[in-house]
Amino acid sequence: MIDPSVIRPEIALDDFLPIFLSSALAMLFGGFYVGIYTAVKVKMLKSWAMPIAYLFWFLTAYSLYIMGSLMHVGEFTAKALIVSMIGYLLLPHAVYHMQHQVHEENEH
Amino acid sequence: MASNTLNESKQLATWYFTFAFILFGAQLLFGLVAATQFVMPGFLFEILDFSVARTLHINALVVWMVFAMFGSVYWLLPDETGINTIGIKMGKLLYWIFVAAIAVVVLVYIFVQVGPADETTIWFIMEGREYIEAPRWADFGIVVVALGFVANLFLTGMKGKQTGIVTVLMADMIAFAGLYLAGMFFTDNISIDQYWWWWVIHLWVEATWEVFVGAIAAYGLITMIGAHRKVVEMWLWIEVAMLFGSGILGMGHHYFWIGTPEYWWEIGALFSALEPIPLVAMFVHVLYDWGKTQGAEEEAGNSASVINNKPAFTWFVLNAFGNFLGAGIWGFFHTLPQVNLYTHGTQFTSAHGHLAFFGAYATILIGMMYIAVQGKNNIKVLKNTKSSIWAVSMIAGGVMGMTVALTIAGYVQVLVSRAQMGATWAGYFDGQAGMWFAQGMDWRLVMGLVTFLGFLLLAKDLLTTGKNPVHER
Repeated sequence: MIDPSVIRPEIALDDFLPIFLSSALAMLFGGFYVGIYTAVKVKMLKSWAMPIAYLFWFLTAYSLYIMGSLMHVGEFTAKALIVSMIGYLLLPHAVYHMQHQVHEENEH
Repeated sequence: MASNTLNESKQLATWYFTFAFILFGAQLLFGLVAATQFVMPGFLFEILDFSVARTLHINALVVWMVFAMFGSVYWLLPDETGINTIGIKMGKLLYWIFVAAIAVVVLVYIFVQVGPADETTIWFIMEGREYIEAPRWADFGIVVVALGFVANLFLTGMKGKQTGIVTVLMADMIAFAGLYLAGMFFTDNISIDQYWWWWVIHLWVEATWEVFVGAIAAYGLITMIGAHRKVVEMWLWIEVAMLFGSGILGMGHHYFWIGTPEYWWEIGALFSALEPIPLVAMFVHVLYDWGKTQGAEEEAGNSASVINNKPAFTWFVLNAFGNFLGAGIWGFFHTLPQVNLYTHGTQFTSAHGHLAFFGAYATILIGMMYIAVQGKNNIKVLKNTKSSIWAVSMIAGGVMGMTVALTIAGYVQVLVSRAQMGATWAGYFDGQAGMWFAQGMDWRLVMGLVTFLGFLLLAKDLLTTGKNPVHER
């Protein structure tokens, strides 16, 4: 018989698989978002693919929301995840802008 | 530039790569022994116990990567600075000291194995800390070698052309060498001891090593596809800022359960959530430069590939993807404290370790070996061969297979050992008694064998490249 005090009830048994899947999907969708965004910008993909990139960002944010909810993250961690997602949305734009400027300066 | 001295630096690099490759093979062999012991616990019992095989497996991993990193720097230094590597004779002497020290340490691990658990053990047999178990006499030897290496790099970097890549490497390597000192002393309090030990392990792999990878990727992209230096170096600075910005305090995720104050939960959670971002940036960096460079060539009417070293480029692309997958996805699985409470110390950690070390470091260092083989044999365009394709497929497939097998085993442990049985003594054993865990270990061994066969093909390809007529000269 296991002492009930050593069992940690914070996460339900059935929630572990969705947590691992949603955390993996958050990263995977995030990779697609930045990858497609960059591919469109460097003309490896047509511009119609750009909305798909943003759709992947939305899926990233949603996966992270699912993960955080199932984990019952605290207020601070929830805020950290929201800030991360906003940063993740803006980051490719900022990085691409800088890269493009450098590229233009050297090409023209 | 005096070509004979230039050759000396590159020659020294090939020595480093050669010994690194031998240790890579040793790492895989001892990993196979340890994996077999999970399946057949009596295998080599009291001859080469699991604890010894594991020590050899993970220390060979760290040391072969350090050797290959030193080799990479000695290889690129003349190209980047435009001058001879200063103090190359000292570099060669230190190489032999390093090789001799590692050989003695390995022989002691194999034949002496354990000591009386007093000061003589720490000084002459092993220090007992994972990944950096080298006895203290070897620690001092490593520090001397590392300082000599840093001196070579700084003297050359300060006198020659200071490119962004060299500047980053200079800053990075001094941190890399300096951080090793944090793992050289003991304290009686295990929490304090572990606190400093992580300064070596975490700040090496998730800060200085990752920055090193960024610098090497930048050099590789310039060398292999002719990417524009200013663009590549701009990326590098962004990556350095993001890697150090998130990686240094990301160390908090190692401080969750070792007796450090609870504020590390918040710090660890925040910065761990940010840690995958530079890995995505590094992935996109390769895509961006490849797309831009190939696109510019095609606009100029040249449809030929811009890649002059296909196997190396394959490994570099694998690095960008593997870093994101192994360090990013498999790290993010269990980086937040809420879930790490359950995954900590299970095979999840092992799954992450296997894919992250392979994806983030082994891939790019093998890519550098191909660049060295190309340069050493004056090959203009190094093409893929059947061996190179089979090697990369089997090694990557094998490591991925091991990772999936370990993840399944870890998942069982999370559910049984932790969630259902509350990290109890009985839970520890029950978690490992189930069918899924046992089959996970079986498949890990099978995939380990696949990886080792891939390694043999890689060795064949690297050794026969010089005589293979398929490459353009």
